Amino acid sequence: MSSGTAIITLDSVSKRYGSRTIVDGLSFTVEAGEIVGFLGPNGAGKTTTMRMIAGFTAATSGRVSVAGYDMATENTAAAQHIGYLPERPPLYDTLDVTSYLRFVATVKGVPRAARAGELERVTTACHLESVTRQEIFKLSKGYRQRLGLAQALLGAPKVLLLDEPTAGLDPGQIQETREVIRAFGREHAVLFSTHILAEATLICRRVAIIDQGRLLAIDSPAGLQRAMEQSHRIAVEVAAPPGELRDALLAVDGVLALDVRAAATGGLLSVDCRVDGRPGVEAAIARALAARWDLHRLERQQPTLETIFLQYVTDTSGRGAAA
Amino acid sequence: MTGALALYRKELTTYFRSPIAYYVVAVFLLGTGYFFLYNVFLGGETTMAGTFQNMGLLLVTLAPVISMRLLAAEHTTGTAELLLTLPLSPWQIVTGKYLGAVTILLAVTAGTLVDLVPLYLFGTPETTTIVAGYLGFVLLGMACLAIGLLFSALTHNQVVAALLTAAVLLAFWFVGHLQTFQRSSAIRGLLGYGSFALHYTDFIQGLVRTESVAFYLVVSAVALTLSAAYLQWRR
Repeated sequence: MSSGTAIITLDSVSKRYGSRTIVDGLSFTVEAGEIVGFLGPNGAGKTTTMRMIAGFTAATSGRVSVAGYDMATENTAAAQHIGYLPERPPLYDTLDVTSYLRFVATVKGVPRAARAGELERVTTACHLESVTRQEIFKLSKGYRQRLGLAQALLGAPKVLLLDEPTAGLDPGQIQETREVIRAFGREHAVLFSTHILAEATLICRRVAIIDQGRLLAIDSPAGLQRAMEQSHRIAVEVAAPPGELRDALLAVDGVLALDVRAAATGGLLSVDCRVDGRPGVEAAIARALAARWDLHRLERQQPTLETIFLQYVTDTSGRGAAA
Repeated sequence: MTGALALYRKELTTYFRSPIAYYVVAVFLLGTGYFFLYNVFLGGETTMAGTFQNMGLLLVTLAPVISMRLLAAEHTTGTAELLLTLPLSPWQIVTGKYLGAVTILLAVTAGTLVDLVPLYLFGTPETTTIVAGYLGFVLLGMACLAIGLLFSALTHNQVVAALLTAAVLLAFWFVGHLQTFQRSSAIRGLLGYGSFALHYTDFIQGLVRTESVAFYLVVSAVALTLSAAYLQWRR
């Protein structure tokens, strides 16, 4: 689906407020016809990155370019090509839905003759038909979120930036919003942040994981999963003395690291073994332990996107960093 | 310019769909009406001079209420992220916002014209003096609103913006009084030149001096330029 043209380019972008570094040397691209999910814990720098791409704030160093425009100097020209839904929908409460959308459409340069059609297109896409005459302060949270999305879609921008677009929506609305994003992403570049990892797997071609302002990984959901398969985990519960158990496990080929804790039940030890991808490592562990102690549980844990995400953000060594 | 015009229209809608414009217009017209009645019917004066003087001070205290929300409210409501990422240059934003506020000023000014009816019915006021007074009033208002817009850009808090604007405007209004305490004619001249009230008094007396017109226009232009520059800089 990708045309191979980078519409959003971040090149070693950093943002500092005084001595605090919010975004640290971020580099990635988003191409036309591509939906990229932006994952990270709270305070990871997602919103700041979105704001830099949208032109709300400038990067302290590095270069952000959108649709060929340098956001440091040509942000007003670039704005024509950007649809942006911030974390909090930017709505004028005293206006009614139509006046609000008409204002945004006019400022975005939608020609007068095409304005009515454009308004109809976005209100239909975001299921706002029943509230077009209502004042915005009377709208429910779900409608406010969808109105925020509708204004971002106005003028069919080349780039759509969505900061947690499904927050505050009910399951039906989430589904509808995903459809809108998916349809829009067929031809345009979409970057959206989310806390819902399943959402990223469902609609994104690539997922970027960010923490403490640094990019930890960017790949397809399947690619991230494959990368993590290199470090599968095996959970073991066994009745054994801790020191000997540790020695016995580390002696098994393929065991990389251990985390030994007391299990919740009956004097057992619970061990989280990080192993490499070689086949038969579970069997080798089982043989090594069962011969000497009472082995209660041995389970290979397949990485889910959740565990991948958590592993990336907790892995302070940055071993998973890849671009 | 379409963008600035759209913003201007949005500003007007926002003003008149919130209580602010009605409050300002009502308080101003009630205040002006009171001063007019007092000056003309109790004081026996058949000119607008006294009323214009009171209108000036009333304007200096009410202009911050009109201007406080201009940019500060955009941050409080989160719409700044929309406004500053739309294809609008800082100058277009400042122009659209400022013209919206000036329109409220003109509405207020138009409302006071009703006071002229009894004046013309029962007296023979000098039309040129009245026109000069109104010109001075509008120019003073434009300068006050430009300063208010600047403070509304500098802070995200509307109340802080209003208080800072009021403090600065009152300082500009009363700074002429400090002339009395100065021996140096240069300082006296400077204080006089910087005084909103002294320039305004010229207009009330029917004097449309280039210096006074230029003073208010320069103050407005400087405040608007600083507002636009600040919007650009804070990115």
